[in-house]
Amino acid sequence: MKNNRPVIVGIFIVLGLAILITTIFTLGGQKKAFVKSFALNTIFNDVSGLVVGANVLFSGVKIGTVKKIEFYGDSQVKVSMSIENDAESHIHKNAFAKIGSDGLIGNKTVVIYGGNKTQPQVVKNDFLKIENELSTEDMLATLQQNNKNLVDITTSFKSISKKIDAGDGILGKLVNDPGLGTKLANTITNLQSTVDNFKSASLSGKTVMGDFERLSGNFKNPTNSINRIANDSIAYNKIVGTVTQLQNASASLNKFTVNLRSVSERLNEKLNKKDAPLGLMLNDSATANSLKSMIKNLQSSSSKLNDDLEAVQHNFLLKGFFKKRAKEQEKAKETIIQQ
Amino acid sequence: METTSKNPNSTTKKKYLISKSIDSFFEDLYELYTFIIRFFKESFSAPVEWKEIVNQCYAIGYKTLLLVSVTGFITGTVFTKQSRPSLSAFGAASWLPSLVSIAIIKTMAPLITALIAAGKVGSNIGAELGSMKVTEQIDAMEVSATNPFKFLVVSRILASTFMMPVLVLYTGLVGMMGAYLNVHANEATSFISFFISAFKTIEFKDIFTSLFKAICYGFTIGVAGCYQGYNAENGTQGVGRAANLAVVFSMFLIFVEELLIVQVLNNFK
Repeated sequence: MKNNRPVIVGIFIVLGLAILITTIFTLGGQKKAFVKSFALNTIFNDVSGLVVGANVLFSGVKIGTVKKIEFYGDSQVKVSMSIENDAESHIHKNAFAKIGSDGLIGNKTVVIYGGNKTQPQVVKNDFLKIENELSTEDMLATLQQNNKNLVDITTSFKSISKKIDAGDGILGKLVNDPGLGTKLANTITNLQSTVDNFKSASLSGKTVMGDFERLSGNFKNPTNSINRIANDSIAYNKIVGTVTQLQNASASLNKFTVNLRSVSERLNEKLNKKDAPLGLMLNDSATANSLKSMIKNLQSSSSKLNDDLEAVQHNFLLKGFFKKRAKEQEKAKETIIQQ
Repeated sequence: METTSKNPNSTTKKKYLISKSIDSFFEDLYELYTFIIRFFKESFSAPVEWKEIVNQCYAIGYKTLLLVSVTGFITGTVFTKQSRPSLSAFGAASWLPSLVSIAIIKTMAPLITALIAAGKVGSNIGAELGSMKVTEQIDAMEVSATNPFKFLVVSRILASTFMMPVLVLYTGLVGMMGAYLNVHANEATSFISFFISAFKTIEFKDIFTSLFKAICYGFTIGVAGCYQGYNAENGTQGVGRAANLAVVFSMFLIFVEELLIVQVLNNFK
């Protein structure tokens, strides 16, 4: 047994070294420590806690690690990355770099994205452009602002709901007053009716527009009279001549009217004068009374004259004449009836 | 400040610089220093006791393997099980492999291995050398033209120094396997996925730091055991005391070294 001790110790040590070597190669493979790589750089304003050894991702695939972080200029930070050669053909000069994160609270990473074949591939020691990513602090600040806004909104809603519940305002009355609700329902019904009317009017308007369209079509028809007027210069000239004559006639009528007004004014002026015969009759009451009594006398004289003439018809000297005329008149009536 | 000398018949009194206990502490410290210096001198001088070194490697490394493996497996399993509720509360149970690998590889594997080895190997060396000292076997070796320091001390310290990193590697592997079995049983994580996640947060620096710690702990255990055993006195009582002091002394130093190494190596990136 004692002679086997060196062998056992040797196996023991070899197995231990095998564990160490396996661990180193596994870790190296995962950290891309044994692959050929090239350097890329980028300059950030803020690396948000990025550390050396952090992963570099492209399209979500780890393609390298951060090798060096150093200040650049006044306050910028230069990040040097070791990128494996296999990824070189996929990264173009117009690609961007930003600080990412493994989850919300995970380690910081550098994320390379974008870029296309319009630009050549990156080469060793190229500088990538950056895009500032929202940091966790920025997101939390925005979230805090959202929370404040939410509190304000809920407070306002609380106040509004209290007023509504108390029956204040239009909404409160609407919710709590059944009569107002009925009115609103009626209003909506009327509104619906109005809308229906509008719809009907719209249809009518559409019909009218159709008629106009047809009318316009008719106007376009060369056999149509209006179209002919529009296109026939002779007829148009005749119409223009007729309209001119009408204008002349109108002017003459206007002149006649002016003359008539002048005559009327002069007549009116004379009628208003008491020394003129007509003015005297129209304006002097004494003359009017004399005329009235004169007309009465004439009526009375006429009535008496009728009585006298009736008496003459019954006189024996003239009685035959009247009988003869009556017979001739009856005979003329019968002839007319027979015809 | 003043006390009597060791010889009660002597009328002269020994003067202590500060006090007996404090002066004794610094004397012990100096003796330890000379002991370590002698170890390095003897280590690099011929002949090398290869056979004894291999024997001690067998005793210290191989014989301790089962103990540290079981301890490592239990540690990995229990640590994973205990960590799960805390991570699950944040919905981060998928981070268990990363957390466990950091804990086991960076701290637990070297520390637990060293403590177990200090208990087993340290007491063994202390008791063995103490017995040889009180039974004057060491003096006999000197008479027989054998360098007892090189044969007994150098071989044991070198063996414990070399074997401790190997034991740490085994403990780390077994501990990770224990963690994997627990994670697989609960989250049904595949073997490859577990180890990819586990190595995600581990750096080369962490592994070499652990190995460096293991070397320091192995050296400490060897030195503490050999020093206490080699300087044992007062018969069988001194043997027990040497074994006890070897364990206590080495464990205390292991924790001090853990603190110092972590503080120093964390500054290196």
